[in-house]
Amino acid sequence: MTEIRNQLNGHETSALHRRFKIMLVIVVAALSLLALRMWYLQVIEGEELKQKSENNSIRIRKIKPMRGLIMDTHREVLVDSQCSFDVLFVPGRTRNIQSVFDQLGSLYQDASLNFDREVFTPGRLRPFVPIRLERNVSREKLAIVETHTLDLPGVTVDVVPVRQYLGGEMMAHLIGYTGEISPEELDKDESETYTSGDLIGKSGIEKYLDPYLRGKSGIEQVEINVLGKEVRVLGKEDPEPGYNVVLTIDALLQKVAWEALAGKPGAVVAMDPRDGSVLALVSSPAYDPTLFNGGISQEDWKKLSGDPFHPMEDRAISGQYPPGSTYKMIVAAAALQEGLITPETSFVCNGSYELGNRTYRCWHKGGHGRISLHRAIVQSCDVYFYNVGKLVGVDKLAEYARRFGLGAPTGIDLPREKNGMIPTREWKQMRYKEPWQIGETISLSIGQGYNLVTPLQLVTAYSALANGGVVWRPRLIKQIEAVDGQVIKSFAPERKSVVPVSTGVIEQLKKALWGVVNEEGGTGRAAQRKDADVAGKTGTSQVISLPNNEKTRKSKYIPSRFRDHALFTCFAPVHNPEIAIAVVAENAGHGGSAAAPIARKILDAYFDRKKSPGKKPPVVISDHRMEHQGLLH
Amino acid sequence: MKFDRRLFINFDWMLLLVVLGISLIGLLNIYSTGFNQVYAKQEFLYVKQIQWIVIGLVFMTAAFCVDYRFISRYAYLIYGCSIVLLVIVFFYGYATRGSQRWILLGGFSFQPSELVKLTLILALAKYFDHHRRNEFYRLRDLAVPFVITLAPFLLILKQPDLGTAMILLIIFFSLILFIGVHWKSLAWSALVGLVLIPAGWFLLKDYQKDRIMTFVNPESDPLGAGYHVIQSIIAIGSGGMTGKGFLKGTQTQLRFLPERHTDFVFSVFAEEWGFLGGMVLLVLFLSLILWGLKIALHARDYNGTLIAVGITALIFWEVVINIGMVLGILPVVGIPLPFLSYGGSSMVVLMTCVGLLMNVSMRRFILQP
Repeated sequence: MTEIRNQLNGHETSALHRRFKIMLVIVVAALSLLALRMWYLQVIEGEELKQKSENNSIRIRKIKPMRGLIMDTHREVLVDSQCSFDVLFVPGRTRNIQSVFDQLGSLYQDASLNFDREVFTPGRLRPFVPIRLERNVSREKLAIVETHTLDLPGVTVDVVPVRQYLGGEMMAHLIGYTGEISPEELDKDESETYTSGDLIGKSGIEKYLDPYLRGKSGIEQVEINVLGKEVRVLGKEDPEPGYNVVLTIDALLQKVAWEALAGKPGAVVAMDPRDGSVLALVSSPAYDPTLFNGGISQEDWKKLSGDPFHPMEDRAISGQYPPGSTYKMIVAAAALQEGLITPETSFVCNGSYELGNRTYRCWHKGGHGRISLHRAIVQSCDVYFYNVGKLVGVDKLAEYARRFGLGAPTGIDLPREKNGMIPTREWKQMRYKEPWQIGETISLSIGQGYNLVTPLQLVTAYSALANGGVVWRPRLIKQIEAVDGQVIKSFAPERKSVVPVSTGVIEQLKKALWGVVNEEGGTGRAAQRKDADVAGKTGTSQVISLPNNEKTRKSKYIPSRFRDHALFTCFAPVHNPEIAIAVVAENAGHGGSAAAPIARKILDAYFDRKKSPGKKPPVVISDHRMEHQGLLH
Repeated sequence: MKFDRRLFINFDWMLLLVVLGISLIGLLNIYSTGFNQVYAKQEFLYVKQIQWIVIGLVFMTAAFCVDYRFISRYAYLIYGCSIVLLVIVFFYGYATRGSQRWILLGGFSFQPSELVKLTLILALAKYFDHHRRNEFYRLRDLAVPFVITLAPFLLILKQPDLGTAMILLIIFFSLILFIGVHWKSLAWSALVGLVLIPAGWFLLKDYQKDRIMTFVNPESDPLGAGYHVIQSIIAIGSGGMTGKGFLKGTQTQLRFLPERHTDFVFSVFAEEWGFLGGMVLLVLFLSLILWGLKIALHARDYNGTLIAVGITALIFWEVVINIGMVLGILPVVGIPLPFLSYGGSSMVVLMTCVGLLMNVSMRRFILQP
């Protein structure tokens, strides 16, 4: 029965046939219409349209945007953009490449046409992908190329905005550098807004804020005649300049810190403990960011990457150091808060501490005698803290260290921040498959051993102490604004957490830190200032006895590599702190003698200017200010 | 299902040859679009397209092995599943260029809106087969199939993907014109349509309005939407009678042409192979479509006829609208050119459609068990 139902009856069949005929007519008519249109375009209009395509009568030209400025907190310009002119060559526009080059060489009147011959090997040559012959050509050469366009088929001039790093080396790590987008970056680009030849931030702020700084390319549509001359501009879409960025950095402090480090390996971070604003972020040694403009040369790159002092590394956020005695504040805070000691608790220091069959020495061979907490901090007595650390235990110590922001990224707005390391029993079991040794807790209590912190973490922790317990997320960017000053995005201070330490304990510790700098016998007296009550802590971290002395770390510091790192961290004024500083000077010896004087210089600069606010800051870099916009027009 | 020797004898070699021929032309063409490019990922698109063709052939085989009457039994279920996929896209799909069309399936990104073209045809074919009438259909008879079409239409319009959504409506109208509608019903639909068009204008996104405006006058916006059409016309026209030659299309290689490997593939082909090449391609498409109609006419049952008509209509309209748009006689809407445009979902679904056509074709003599 189903069979019959599915069969078509005679009436239906004839109706079907009629409909199929109609469909046939529609199909043939539609496709014929397309064929006719093709005939019209390709055969009748063909010659004319071919002319058009051959002349490329309409040519699209990209106008590169001006990249945004980067300014310090006082709106002093740190990075600026200027125009440079590159000579390009499109191989597909000429039949005889060699003659074009000979022509260009003779016009220049010197044969020193320095381009990379390798790109002209037949396999790699793409006829319509422009090759950059020469970057940043002089005005004279530019004039030659412009006036001889007819003799130089395929040779064109490209206007490229070039970054001016007015801060130079002292800002290199912080600001970063830019370069032409690489094929890998193009492949990774999800937004599909970058095209080859675009400038892109490669590190630092330039990379982190690239989407804001880069601006938007403009397009110009130009009609060109058979001779390759522009006839008229058909349409134009202006490029949009990138947004300007205002940092929290104070260029003056940055400069003082940089000069105080004097090119030796180390790092300085200064922070406003009231809101976490980063005032200075210096890493030394550094590199010249302009080397990367238009691509770094092989030679320069080899020099930079082969340097034993690693100038490319930003030590302020990715240098990891044992905190040394600066860590004693964490130990003391934990012990006081947990009620394991009181400020009056005392221990006897006779120069060393015995545990099992091992001896742990105090830095003061003669010993400090019977000593209580305040003096133990002032004189940085190691034996006192061996005792206290043993009471607290490794896991409790780790808990407090973490609460102060150590051993984890601070979340600063920069790429490539390192974690640091705060060990626990569990971590050691996982990592080394060995139980925790009590002796390791002893080393830990004076900041040696597995402990590693970055200078930025250290200053964040001391800021928390200074401001009564608030751990801030370091704030590096104040705001992003459009060229007309309209604020696009502002970055409010961000409270990460509050340390679980009572006000009484914090006050006790701050008093002791004041003693370090100002009391008789204090280790940080080199940072003493009469008019500002500085509180601080020295630290000296041993390089040689590091248990995790990895090979890489060893080979990194070939000269004087066995010398200790000097640390100093401080804040001032002690009762209402406005600035906190952490200084690390690698292989420089004692914190009190090598690092504290650096902090002192920064404090001097900060408070001197505060005293005479009318005085303009010394011209740190140059006097470029906001008038540098829209250079293209 | 028993194996029947007649299945092999009746296998539609002609259909396979035509489709393979068109796909091969498409492959060469995609190789050309990637040849002179800066992006590594575009250079190797043709390798991926080969993968898609192979996967498509697997699906095609699957689609003709199982009797279409068996498939049709589950047509509503299959349709329902594809709607569920569309809903998933609506909530969890990922977007590129402001349009949320894709979902990830085992590492592949997949476009359910392509699949819906096929499942809609299956569902409508089943519905019209079950509700056969000897006289013309009236509006109330069309209410249910209209809702069946409207659901995916709205979901896809929201993505937004105007082109694909329109194709669904076109499939619907093609099928109801084929089954026969009372002239009064037609008149009413036309009237409602005329009222809805101005209302729909306000629902369109700005870029969609732009495209329709520039279709009316491409020179009004030479830098924006009109640019595509102008450059496409220059590319096609400059190909002349015999074309500029393989890999030598300056419009393509100079990257004047936008969307070279997707919507504007035909311009690339016409520039490099000229009027003659274009005609060869058109004739291949014509044979494919006529062959599809022949299959529909000789189908064993009405359901088979409707499936074949639906699939043929899909291919026909996509070809006409895509080529019409690159030739500048239709507005630019994102509709791929079957078997030539780069794209996995489109290729696999179209191959499956062809598999179904073969299915209907080779079972035309077999009595139902």
